[in-house]
Amino acid sequence: MSARVVNRRVRLLVAAFALCFAVVLVRAGWLQAVRAGDLDRLAASQHRETITIPARRGSILDRTGVELAIGERAITVYANPRQIEDPRAVAFEAGKALDIAPAKLVAILADRSKGFVYLARKADAGAAEELQEQGIVGLGFYPEERRTYPLRNVAAEVVGYAGTENRGLAGLELALDKTLAGTDGEKTIVRDPLGNELNVVDESEAVDGRDVRLTIDNTLQRHVERVLAETRERWNAKATTAVVLDPRTGGILAMGVEPGFDANRFPNVPRDRQRNRAVTDTFEPGSTFKVVTVSAALETGMVTPRTRYTLPDTIEVADRVISDAVPRGTEEFTVSEIISRSSNVGTITLALGLGRTKLAEWIEKFGFGRPTGIEYPGETEGIVVPPELWSGSTIGNVPIGHGIAVTPLQMAQVYGAIANDGVAMPPRLVESVAGEEPKPVEGSRIVSEETAAAVTRMLRGVVSAGSGVEAAVPGYRVAGKTGTAAKPDPIEGGYSDTRYVASFAGFAPADNPRFVVLVTVDEPSGTIWGGTAAAPAFREIATFALQYLRVPPDVPAELPVAP
Amino acid sequence: MAVRVADTRRRPEVSIGGEAGRILRNLDYVLLGAVAALVAYGLWVLASVSRNDVPGDPDFFLVRQSVNVAIGVAVLALTTALNPELYRRLRVPLYAAALILLAIVFVADQVRGTRRWIDIGFFQFQPSEIGKALLILVLAGFLADRARRLDEWGTTMGAVGLAAVPAVLVFLEPDLGTALVYVAILGAALFVAGTRWLHLATLATVGVLTVVSLFWLFPAVGIQVLEEYQIERLTGFLDPDHDPDGATYNVTQSITAVGSGGLDGRGVEGATQTNMNYLPEHSTDFIFSSLAEQRGFFGAALLLLLYGLVVWRAIRTIALAPSLFTAIVAGAIVVAFVFQVFVNVGMTIGVAPITGIPLPFVSYGGSSMLVTLGLIGLLQAIHVRGRLALER
Repeated sequence: MSARVVNRRVRLLVAAFALCFAVVLVRAGWLQAVRAGDLDRLAASQHRETITIPARRGSILDRTGVELAIGERAITVYANPRQIEDPRAVAFEAGKALDIAPAKLVAILADRSKGFVYLARKADAGAAEELQEQGIVGLGFYPEERRTYPLRNVAAEVVGYAGTENRGLAGLELALDKTLAGTDGEKTIVRDPLGNELNVVDESEAVDGRDVRLTIDNTLQRHVERVLAETRERWNAKATTAVVLDPRTGGILAMGVEPGFDANRFPNVPRDRQRNRAVTDTFEPGSTFKVVTVSAALETGMVTPRTRYTLPDTIEVADRVISDAVPRGTEEFTVSEIISRSSNVGTITLALGLGRTKLAEWIEKFGFGRPTGIEYPGETEGIVVPPELWSGSTIGNVPIGHGIAVTPLQMAQVYGAIANDGVAMPPRLVESVAGEEPKPVEGSRIVSEETAAAVTRMLRGVVSAGSGVEAAVPGYRVAGKTGTAAKPDPIEGGYSDTRYVASFAGFAPADNPRFVVLVTVDEPSGTIWGGTAAAPAFREIATFALQYLRVPPDVPAELPVAP
Repeated sequence: MAVRVADTRRRPEVSIGGEAGRILRNLDYVLLGAVAALVAYGLWVLASVSRNDVPGDPDFFLVRQSVNVAIGVAVLALTTALNPELYRRLRVPLYAAALILLAIVFVADQVRGTRRWIDIGFFQFQPSEIGKALLILVLAGFLADRARRLDEWGTTMGAVGLAAVPAVLVFLEPDLGTALVYVAILGAALFVAGTRWLHLATLATVGVLTVVSLFWLFPAVGIQVLEEYQIERLTGFLDPDHDPDGATYNVTQSITAVGSGGLDGRGVEGATQTNMNYLPEHSTDFIFSSLAEQRGFFGAALLLLLYGLVVWRAIRTIALAPSLFTAIVAGAIVVAFVFQVFVNVGMTIGVAPITGIPLPFVSYGGSSMLVTLGLIGLLQAIHVRGRLALER
């Protein structure tokens, strides 16, 4: 072997080595100069982790302290498919424990492209713990809070619900989300590669959400919902709605919609069944609205309850002829009788006396056409046509509750004002937050005490001897008014002659009212009349409420009910 | 002897006489200085990256590595002093010793599923490291003996056979990385000896086919020579994002560490990859990544520069070697050295497969330090003899 060959080969070695050096230097330079920023962030992100410390969501309680919405301990089960050796076996065990079809889990667990998959969010704590005890490699568990509604259907439309992320999605859960949710805390921790916590860099504590106590009374609410369900069934109605409120405070004692739903199963319930129709939906009230017209006529001094009118059973307004519900000859009516006999002709006569501007003013004063301001999301203001847009015949519709759309809550508020000596209290659902009562709200006087008393007497007449006798509660003086209105026909235009809303609004005891009840029955079949379809529901609710609230009877039971 | 006469005649003023004086006068001091600098730098790097590894004892690794260095320097002195031709005469017993040592590990206890160490009380010795040195000497002796028959297939295959036995033993430990170093040594010995290109090309082809078989063909028909994890680690660098939590975890973390070091490093305290142990084995196999994280590109480049200096001087020694035997020895040493440096560094920056090869002079480990310093001593011995031969 000659030295020449050795030297030549050594030169080749040198060249190869130089290439190695160049590759390494270029690569190191690429990583450390060009990609340094990215990789530095990667290094930081893998050992620093910011964890959210969830705040406890406040409970929702009824006025007696019964839990309507609470956070329940739950455990979320997740998996790292890459660590799972036998997806089939794990799926079987997990499926059995969590009550999920194993076939569904196999697909998830066998997907090794992912390092994190959920098997069950917020699973039942007991079931998840049993699974955890099996110590299956690749499964992980962490505690969470699951929102549950122990009373299920009761007040579901009012309470609404919160989603998996513990954020309110509907109802009061949504409206009061800020109060209920609290503020999540945050913790930035440094972890070693085994996941051990080395130290905490930054920490902010969670501020738990506050409990909210509602004005709703769960016992009354349950009863109301039962009555609504029975009424709906009795008349095969599309829906029934009721509002029970305390006229002295505006506090809503019960607010029900049938058909209802179980808030625990909200994702499976169609949205239109979740609406709190008492607040979000409107109806044409019909005769219950006549108290507005009559109150205005009394309050302006145009008439007294004893003012007499001679009335035929029809009246011509512009191009239309409006008649009373029951055909009769021309008769003499007092203003009281106009209400107790629910005369359309009489009410329109009073309205014509007031004129459109005055009437419109009073409609506004009673709170129609604007939200009541209740703490509920999606409240609708109803539809009130301003007087400048009225046609000639409008003055023949609106005074008797047609051509105007109102919410059940608005109507309940109006009867609340009459019941509360003429002062309307803004309706509310929240009694207190974390034990603190809200600032007392001033009611607004709408009519004088005298007018309110006069209207109340007229409404007593409706129940004692008029169209609302079905609402009478033995032993108590009850004031109320029936309502019946054809629904607009969305296809034909104009009004349907088969689809009606029957309603009843009233309060008891008439002289010292403890509650107002408004019931609507949407599209009853077999009857259209508020006095038939809605008044009995009122009676059921009022009878129960009077006993439940321990209101002493104000009429000796053996005496006949005073006219 | 002629040498002594020539020497004293040239430098009559130098009073150091005898063998020691001749050695000292003809040492490669640049190489010595470069190695000293490398060792010092390596100790400093090790001290920095291992400060947090043993709680309460930041100098744990530094102290132990310093002892290794001290022993290694003694070995270096010894191999410098001995005439390299001695090994050529002793190659048969040396080969036997290598095989015996490599076989012993198979009856020793396993450590983490591998058999690499012989425990001799105060010291855990890794026979595969000294096996490198012995293989270099044995192969060089064999090829030098057959210098006139290098063109024959018999010679080439003989060398292959000599290397194959220890390489397979090491591979079975299993220590694939070191087994690959043995293969590199074989290649270097044949290459420097002047084996025909045809032979080299044939061997290379066979090598490539072997690799292809091991990685793809055999697994495809169900024969597993390599463990699954070995295949994944070895091929992982081709696609580091394939499974960042699994087989390529080390590469991903290593690249992250290197990159996050930037140009001037994150310092000792700021190096989270190292300090929090995201970077595994950062005192041994992945020490380069830790260095790059703590000291940045400049610190890493300085290390490469020192390696370059050593390599340069080592290559000069090949040319200076007084015989074919010593030339082959020097050539195999430098190739083995460069191979280890680049496979190790390449692994940490994602351009070479992950094999557990230590970074010479820097990785913590006694056997590697001793053997590497011993081989440097061997280079010095060759240098000295070469210089003396020139002077003659």
